[in-house]
Amino acid sequence: MTEKILVQGNEAVGLAAVSAGCLYFFGYPITPQNEIPEWFARELPKRGGVFVQTESETGSINMLYGAASTGVRCITSTSSPGWGLMQEGISSIAGAELPCVIVLVQRGGPGGGSIRHSQMDYMAATRGGGGGGYKNIVLAPASVQEVHDLIQLAFYLADKYLNPVVMLSDGIIGQIAENLEIKTIDFGPLPEKDWAVRGVGRQKDGKRRMILHGRGVIAGPPYFTYVNFLDHLKEKYQKMADTEVRYETYQTDDAEIILVAYGYVARVAKEAVKMAREQDLKVGLLRPITLWPFPYQQIKEKAELGCKFLAAEDSMGLLVDDVRIGVEGKAEVHLLDISARHMPTDGGMILPGRVFQEIRRLL
Amino acid sequence: MAKAKMIKAEVVIDEVRCRGCRYCEKFCPRGCIVIRGDRFTPEGYLLPEIVDIERCNACGACVWMCPSFAIDVYRWVEAGEAKAG
Amino acid sequence: MNNSIVKERAWGRPELCLDLPVWGLYCPGCQHPVGARLIAEVLDELGIADRAILIIGVGCHAFSGFALNFDVVSSCHGRAPDLATAVKRIHPDTIVFSLQGDGDCIAIGAGPFIGALTRGEMITIIMLNNTNYGTTGGQLAPTTLMEQRTTTTPEGRTADREGYPAHVAELAAGFKGTAYSARGALNNLANYKRTKKYIKTAFQKQINNVGLSYVEVISACPPNWHLSPLESLEWIEEKVIPEFPLGEFKNVDRIE
Repeated sequence: MTEKILVQGNEAVGLAAVSAGCLYFFGYPITPQNEIPEWFARELPKRGGVFVQTESETGSINMLYGAASTGVRCITSTSSPGWGLMQEGISSIAGAELPCVIVLVQRGGPGGGSIRHSQMDYMAATRGGGGGGYKNIVLAPASVQEVHDLIQLAFYLADKYLNPVVMLSDGIIGQIAENLEIKTIDFGPLPEKDWAVRGVGRQKDGKRRMILHGRGVIAGPPYFTYVNFLDHLKEKYQKMADTEVRYETYQTDDAEIILVAYGYVARVAKEAVKMAREQDLKVGLLRPITLWPFPYQQIKEKAELGCKFLAAEDSMGLLVDDVRIGVEGKAEVHLLDISARHMPTDGGMILPGRVFQEIRRLL
Repeated sequence: MAKAKMIKAEVVIDEVRCRGCRYCEKFCPRGCIVIRGDRFTPEGYLLPEIVDIERCNACGACVWMCPSFAIDVYRWVEAGEAKAG
Repeated sequence: MNNSIVKERAWGRPELCLDLPVWGLYCPGCQHPVGARLIAEVLDELGIADRAILIIGVGCHAFSGFALNFDVVSSCHGRAPDLATAVKRIHPDTIVFSLQGDGDCIAIGAGPFIGALTRGEMITIIMLNNTNYGTTGGQLAPTTLMEQRTTTTPEGRTADREGYPAHVAELAAGFKGTAYSARGALNNLANYKRTKKYIKTAFQKQINNVGLSYVEVISACPPNWHLSPLESLEWIEEKVIPEFPLGEFKNVDRIE
């Protein structure tokens, strides 16, 4: 019988990271993710790893950049205000094509906003806020087990594509505690990191390694022009989009209304679907697990079959835009947003009863 | 190791790299480098010339202060005491 | 036995300074490449070039970084000490150093700089001080002198608008985790040799795991000072050094 322990969502990040062989964390205190740096501060030194509390989130992302350039698996975490301070760093890491994992535990915005949960960073995470064009795979867990499993997947995808990977959690998923089955997931072989810096004398070919975020502008192998480099990035991102989409469907086969929700709201939406099905209402749920690349194709197919869509999210309407993109104008898209919280406070939540009430209104 | 007895020195200025900053002229302790103003590099910078090469003892000051890595100093020494520059 | 005469190269471009066109990007009389030469010579003489990892900032100094034969990572503007921190902690047996400019290190980079000083990272930070933002065309920097004209202080730096020049070597010396802090210049042969000694001592501190080492090198910037190269060296002697005295501000072999 596999061992299960009661673990908080934030702490599952640490357990998963070390299972994936990551021993390097750089972070800064910010609610509601503090348990993550605290776990690493306790656990990494005794495992021969490195934990550094930085002077700011800009420090965290740039230390992550330094760590990633040595080829080790490395991670940082933050919440919404800190995410803003990381944008230039993330864009530069993407420009240098370095693998790393960044956990964003969403809290209320804008600005300092609330220190509780929300889903208001959807666009900030999936579109990115740094300069220029780059993409990050964004994984959205809806349970403590999924936090654990997706962190390990994140390290694999980061190494596979030499790109930052973001895990988008929130104050609720981060703070709840659930039973967690701890396991090391093997995703298969990965290329060697010959590009990593270690000192010219320690390079197999004795040649220096240059890691530049201004690639292509500074001519150097293998990209000798700027646009030549950007073409390569475009190709890479297209490959990610074509092969890394992940989602879960629940009761969508015969559904007339499909709820689209991720993270904690997806669990709420699933309860609402069960309530609807008890009254023989043909309702289903599509839960994106990768927010980028987004499951547009799955939405398009259902739209062509005449389904209606209800995006349920704890924000003022961000995920709904991707649903609108998916339907390509061929289906109605409705939104249940943050104003549907059961209390008009930063502690309020969208609950199943309210979602069910919205379903009935649409049918 | 007995000080290698230097027979003579040679200073070579790469006229493509040189950009006429005059540091070599200023810092040569023995005034062996001069910019007369009548010779130019391909890009139009004033090109320094070597004068009184006999007085040059290959001290290297011109090379150290040159920001363009445009100068090489050679010396002829009696065998047995060759030193990598 | 007649001794045959041998021709040898006495002085030239250090091997660690690669023969790349990027050196040509420097303005006539700019002394950044001289600073790079010193670094190359010191690391070669200390026998640590093979395990050195260079983190370069953003600015004129960065061009040198592309042409030095070390493993190099280019950082975001001002963040080199952050990258250096991570690389050194992950590979403590390497020699990790950052090459930065004055704007990069103590304007936008003040946060990471102070962070590294506070943590006493076992890295070496080299700041080339040319009292302005060179690459972007000669704007005000924290090290711009009083009354010095720049493109963003067209009437000259004044106390009430732009405050006072930042003394970074003295700042670094004030931190417990700092083992060595010095400031040199390259405006004459004596200062050249002295600066090389400072850089060597700084790297020795890292080799001996004593603490953070910092060396500031005053470097001529003729175009943005609106002076000829030779006038720039005089300006360093008459104006820059009086504002930024040379010397060692901290030099300890152990930090208790």
